[in-house]
Amino acid sequence: MLLSLRNIYKWYTLQGNRNFLLKDVSLQVQEGEFISIMGPSGSGKSTLLNVIGMLDHFDEGEYQFLHESVHKLKDKQKTALYKQYIGFVFQAYHLIDELTVYENIETPLLYQDVKGSERKAMVADMLDRFNIVGKKDLFPTQLSGGQQQLVGIARALIARPRLILADEPTGNLNSKQGEEIMELFTALNKEGVTIIQVTHSEKNAAYGKRIIHLLDGRVEKEESN
Amino acid sequence: MIRNYLLLAWRSLSRHRFFALLNSAGLSIGLLFGLLIGAYIWSELQVNRQLRNADRQYILTSEWKNPNTGYPLTTVGPLARELKEKYPTLVSGYYRFDAVTTIVSKGDKYFREGIQIGDSTMLKLYGFELEAGDQNTALNEPNSLVITAAKAKVFFGSEPALGQTLTLQSFSGSTQDFRVTGVLKDPGENTITQLNADNFNQFFVSKSAINFFGRFDMESWNNLYIVSFVELQQGKTATDLQEPIKQLLKTHAAAAVIQDLQVKPQTLSGFYREKDNGFVNRMMNVLLVTGLFILLMAMVNFINLAISRSGSRMREIGVRKVLGGARAQLIVQFLAESVLLVLLSALLAVAAYPLVKPLFEQFAGKALPRLNDFPLQVYFGFPAGVVALGLLAGIYPAFVLSAMKAAQAVKGLQGKVRDRILLRKALVGVQFSLALLLLTATVVVTKQIRYFFGGSLGYNKEYVVAAQVPRDWSKAGVQHMEDLRNRLALHPEVESVSLSYEIPNGNNGGTAQIFPQSGDSTQAVSSQVMMTDPYFPETYQVGIQAGSYFKAGQKDSLQLAINATAAKALGWNNTAAAVGKRVRLAGDPRVFTVQGIVKDYHFGTMQQQIPPMVFLQVQLTNTYRFFSIRLKPGTISHSLASIDAEWKKLLPGAPFDYKFQDDTLKTLYDTEIRMERAAYMGTILAIVMVLLGLLGLITITLHRRMKEFGIRKVLGASFAGMLALVLREFLLVLVPASLLALPLSYWIMERWLEQYAYRTLIGWTPFVIALVVVSGVTFLLVFFRSLQVLKANPVQTLRTE
Repeated sequence: MLLSLRNIYKWYTLQGNRNFLLKDVSLQVQEGEFISIMGPSGSGKSTLLNVIGMLDHFDEGEYQFLHESVHKLKDKQKTALYKQYIGFVFQAYHLIDELTVYENIETPLLYQDVKGSERKAMVADMLDRFNIVGKKDLFPTQLSGGQQQLVGIARALIARPRLILADEPTGNLNSKQGEEIMELFTALNKEGVTIIQVTHSEKNAAYGKRIIHLLDGRVEKEESN
Repeated sequence: MIRNYLLLAWRSLSRHRFFALLNSAGLSIGLLFGLLIGAYIWSELQVNRQLRNADRQYILTSEWKNPNTGYPLTTVGPLARELKEKYPTLVSGYYRFDAVTTIVSKGDKYFREGIQIGDSTMLKLYGFELEAGDQNTALNEPNSLVITAAKAKVFFGSEPALGQTLTLQSFSGSTQDFRVTGVLKDPGENTITQLNADNFNQFFVSKSAINFFGRFDMESWNNLYIVSFVELQQGKTATDLQEPIKQLLKTHAAAAVIQDLQVKPQTLSGFYREKDNGFVNRMMNVLLVTGLFILLMAMVNFINLAISRSGSRMREIGVRKVLGGARAQLIVQFLAESVLLVLLSALLAVAAYPLVKPLFEQFAGKALPRLNDFPLQVYFGFPAGVVALGLLAGIYPAFVLSAMKAAQAVKGLQGKVRDRILLRKALVGVQFSLALLLLTATVVVTKQIRYFFGGSLGYNKEYVVAAQVPRDWSKAGVQHMEDLRNRLALHPEVESVSLSYEIPNGNNGGTAQIFPQSGDSTQAVSSQVMMTDPYFPETYQVGIQAGSYFKAGQKDSLQLAINATAAKALGWNNTAAAVGKRVRLAGDPRVFTVQGIVKDYHFGTMQQQIPPMVFLQVQLTNTYRFFSIRLKPGTISHSLASIDAEWKKLLPGAPFDYKFQDDTLKTLYDTEIRMERAAYMGTILAIVMVLLGLLGLITITLHRRMKEFGIRKVLGASFAGMLALVLREFLLVLVPASLLALPLSYWIMERWLEQYAYRTLIGWTPFVIALVVVSGVTFLLVFFRSLQVLKANPVQTLRTE
């Protein structure tokens, strides 16, 4: 078992009324799964992903990640946990504009205090694997959207995470680029990396082995491919 | 990691070149100005420090109950010497001098120079070094002379000066050769050789020369005109001197002097800062305040821009957090950037320092230290201060932004932006206030200086030059000068010439107690004495209110004139009735007749009320100093050249060292003029700072509202309408700033003007000018910066979201 959510609630209070973002969500994820989360706008997909990624807190429930009880951890400990095990991929890529491709990929290693020589080898490896060695000194703005997302994924993978969280990874890409990214995810999954993605597209969701449908912060239904 | 931070900081700065440049330019100017002012203040504090035992060196100044008895800078002749001789455990050294101005010549070179006739103790007491000669004996011999290296160069060029002779003139017209026995190394600015602006002495002769110059014996207890210094023993203070001084005066001085005199020993450093109405202190304060203002504004700009830039980097912060960046790491990164930027600005400022130094020196009238002359503390203090400044400026963005939740930051949360805008507006408001304050102050100072030089003087300063003439203070000497005057007056370029002891420069020779013959000396009016010939009113174009001035060829020197203030003080409100009244001067049995009433004019600065004045004829005392010449309007340089030729014929061996009355006035109002220049400089810098601050804020505002303006445009808003929207935002800052600054500046400037007996009205013009300038600058800047954004195609602006 990689992680398990039990009866997670998340809300905000407006004029005395509780508005639920997540309502009694329970989810168990085994190592090596490929899960797609679907649902209309505002159904809580991104919120759920952020909770899983420990970027956002929740108000009620229990969250077990490997052997840690996340709901009992302090922010610092959470950071230490997710930076070791989780990689994030965003719809808008979120590369740092001031850094080159090489440096963007290297950044997570800096935050994990990996030694210089080791860093070099790991980044070179990753560049090679994604076939972007020739682009390593370019800045993000000099790349196409597909290439930027490729760098984004490379960055997410560099620290060898057990889990990849992707929030609409193909949302800003054309269908061909999107397909390539999905192929990549499938290949990664085969290597044993657990993937959870949020998506709008039925077609992309179909790459997942399990599809979770959310509606108004609640798990509406679950299906398996 | 640090390397990575710095690299990132550098990239981020060069990507936002416009902001980085704006930011560091503003801060550089502020730091440069701060550095210059710091250097100025430091060098002012260094004056006199180079003297031996500097903290034990004192000057004996005097307070006279009746200010007309003596000068504040001088005291009773033998006092300093007696203190040392009678109280050796208290006083370890003394130096006294009597300063005279006379003609020094060598061959065909002759110059008017200030000379100290003083004790032989000077060189050793203060540790003045000689380039040539023996410090111990240089001033022992009669007719020995010590000159500064600078003057040695003037008279002897590259030849060695030691052993050569210079000819000095006495006031009875005789001359004597003095042998140069010492050449003084440049002593640096100090109170001994440079008591004040009027007494910059570079010639030193021994006490025995006092007879040659016909001056009052220095060892007489009735001589009240000796500048005196003492060196105290270790651990003694000025208060220890009080009792011995009292004792000595009681034993030796005349009863009147004991009554009148209060001796105030002052440390030389304290004296230097407080002399001339505390000129040095006031200048330091004015510059310090202006400098702090400018530095504050520069810092405000810096923080302002740092905040606005960090706002746009919220997404980066979020990404970094998601990638596992701890809060502390982000804080360090922001601080590193801020410190780097400040360091760059500081480097720029330091590099610019040698270039701007000469300009500032000209304005401050003082040499500033070179970069490598600064004390060691500055080398450590300045970088430390710069780093502190960088940390201070970076701390807000660093802590606030790094505290944001990662999930929110990635989305680029808008909520927090609002209060930052408010903060930025408040900062720009502070800048507006400071700029308005400086602007109004500048206008008021300028107005007051115009007033000094304007029609309120009471005489016509245009086309008048004055030059000192060689002295022969005897009946024959005066007669000779009057003959020369008559001949000079015939010169075609000359309108009129007057021989007098005083000219309107604030320095008069003495006072007289005048009282009606029918009354007695207890009702006497203390008046300033003007000793002139009959042509004085004509030359200075001073009005005669009643009666007449002296007549040419008038042999009766017992006729005098008084000014209108004196007539009023004597109780003659009807000035016409005062003509012909008989009066006496205290201490003089003769009876004088008032021949005329002179209209009031300003002899000294307008800080003081016009005092009562008595005009006596030069024949009465046989003393004189100046020829004042009114030139005929025309080419002045040509007139002066031909008068110079005539002068050489009439007064061979005397230089025609003329000074325009305009320049004399400028010397008189030196403080105010320097203050005005400081104000101008401060104002210009302040406006530059406001410009930089505004530019940053406008750019951010437009960027933030780009989408809004796109939507408005689609909905049909006009250019003018949108411009008004932007302007309104700045008006809302300017109005409260004005409400705060303008009354405050009115209050401050009222206080400043109060020190002048004669002053301009503040009125409303300074405030209108300040408001027009500041709002005009704002409008223009908003207009030109807005053009691009407001003219942009809304399809573009709306798509970028």
